[in-house]
Amino acid sequence: MGDVVEKETLIEIKNLRMYFPVISGLFLQKKVAEVKAVDDISFSICKGETLGLVGESGCGKTTVGKCILQLYRPTSGHILFEGKDLCHLSNKELRPLRRSLQVIFQDPYESLDPRFTAADIIGEPLKIHGIARGQAYWDRITEVLDIVGLASYMANRYPHEFSGGQRQRLGIARALSLRPSFIVCDEPISALDVSIQAQIINLLDDLQKEFNITYLFISHDLSVVRHISDRIAVMYLGKLVEVAVQDELCKSPLHPYTQALLAAVPIPDPTVEAQRSVIVLRGEVPSPISPPSGCVFHPRCYKAFEPCLTIVPKLEDVSDGHYVACHLYSS
Amino acid sequence: MSALLEVKNLSTYFYTQDGVVKAVENVSYEVARGESIALVGESGCGKTVSALSILRLIPEPQGKIVSGQIMFDGADLLKLSKKAIRQIRGAKISMVFQESMTSLNPVLTIGSQITEMLELHRRMKRRDAFEEAIRLLTLVGIPQAKHCAKDYPHHLSGGMRQRVMIAMAISCEPQLIIADEPTTAVDVTIQTQLLEMIRDITNKLGTALILITHNLGIVARYAQRVYVMYASRIVEHGPSQAIYHDPRHPYTVGLLASVPRLDEPVKTRLISIEGQPPDLIFPLLGCSFYPRCSHATPKCEEGKQEMVEIAPGHYVSCWRACNG
Repeated sequence: MGDVVEKETLIEIKNLRMYFPVISGLFLQKKVAEVKAVDDISFSICKGETLGLVGESGCGKTTVGKCILQLYRPTSGHILFEGKDLCHLSNKELRPLRRSLQVIFQDPYESLDPRFTAADIIGEPLKIHGIARGQAYWDRITEVLDIVGLASYMANRYPHEFSGGQRQRLGIARALSLRPSFIVCDEPISALDVSIQAQIINLLDDLQKEFNITYLFISHDLSVVRHISDRIAVMYLGKLVEVAVQDELCKSPLHPYTQALLAAVPIPDPTVEAQRSVIVLRGEVPSPISPPSGCVFHPRCYKAFEPCLTIVPKLEDVSDGHYVACHLYSS
Repeated sequence: MSALLEVKNLSTYFYTQDGVVKAVENVSYEVARGESIALVGESGCGKTVSALSILRLIPEPQGKIVSGQIMFDGADLLKLSKKAIRQIRGAKISMVFQESMTSLNPVLTIGSQITEMLELHRRMKRRDAFEEAIRLLTLVGIPQAKHCAKDYPHHLSGGMRQRVMIAMAISCEPQLIIADEPTTAVDVTIQTQLLEMIRDITNKLGTALILITHNLGIVARYAQRVYVMYASRIVEHGPSQAIYHDPRHPYTVGLLASVPRLDEPVKTRLISIEGQPPDLIFPLLGCSFYPRCSHATPKCEEGKQEMVEIAPGHYVSCWRACNG
């Protein structure tokens, strides 16, 4: 996948930090601590690429997505999109850019307004951005419905009249209506049944090919992420621990956390499963309010040694675009 | 192998305003002593309802077990009095639920919820029961169990709560544990911890396990026999080797093909099963899968195919698979 490197960068994230204050007290509200949801991460996404972002719940992967979309204003850092730093634009300046940055949410049951019809849901962005009116408005709605595989007569239905898979198609249609160049897919298939998941993955795949859309695909399911992504980034407790091309990450993972994560994904084949070794990690993910010193993974790591306790490992390029943040590999 | 639990032709219906939902229809399965089986299927296919029926936990009057037999240790659970079934719940058959937050009592401490079971079923004194509760919590890998026993469910993380559920499930050393999606709400690394622990404990105690899940990978790792459910019926069952390597029902085939696998080269397209599962209020006359089946024949539309043994221990209900 050497060609990925030469591709044009669409989004560049530099030293992104997102801290949420922990407030205590009813009247005299005081900031008592900070949740370091995203702590100093940098990566870039190329045009037409799918970057998979994996990690366990609470590791900050959704926060990264929301920071890119400027649904959260980051504490510090830069997000460069089309030559502009999104973090330093005013809301007014951001609005035209928001057309290009869209999102598909996890739960199609909660992210769609129950009082909007399908047409309203898809059409609202068109109205807000003043893109289409009258016949053109309806034409675009019909067109988008058709693209995602819904029939045009469904335009007047409400979300509860759709099944889970259809609802997610509607969520995708809403994201598509403004012809975005970048979509954050935040766990788009986790709420769906297995047989429906494959339909949605295939749809996302087709859309990317047809419209040259770039995806940030956030998920906790490594087998799905591997299927859809060109490169995969692994997050743990607000930090990136490993970034590599999908096949390389899955075949030769370097970071102990990635190795454990891969071993934890069961393979639907009893013969293969009988021969696989299982890495059982100790304990649970620590609180991001007081992350461990040094490498944040060291209390659970089965390969931890002295420097891990005190020194924070840097994300370094170890071999041709394979980045890892681990003292085992630092020179 | 003598069967510990034998579910025979179980049907459970729910009576709603819109009509009768046939959640479980003519389902049969059996579990031998110490065996682990899995019920696989998508949401709404009736796998949970069939398990709840075993413990007679179906909410009445809207739900009702309309027919069938559930033989456990020689007795039909469906014929027992309410008092007698209470002696079995928790003591001989216990259950691990999916949502640990909603199935633990939020106003009782963890310790008191476990001691309650021990006092009731094992007739222990309060103090002994508390000691035993701490031993159980340590066994399921909870650090500082003494401290944890005084905590309330909301103090614990999802993974910890699920451990508490497992501690409760094994507290009376039951003969059968029903684990209903025990790890759906937790992360993958915690999922491995929990499932490995369940396997170790069931092996040690010789407990049989019914694992209900939609995750085909987990089934491959932890179950010896698999029952595949679709639209309130079992469509195929057999040893997991047979189901995974030689699936015969088109639904099983489709299900296995639709999940991306880590150990295979990346495919350009996933094979998906088109369409939606049918409405359980208006069941189809023929095979419930035929509208989505790529091999459907006019014969499939006419009537249901009986379960046929096509290989030793491998049963399938598909007209095409049974008739070549």
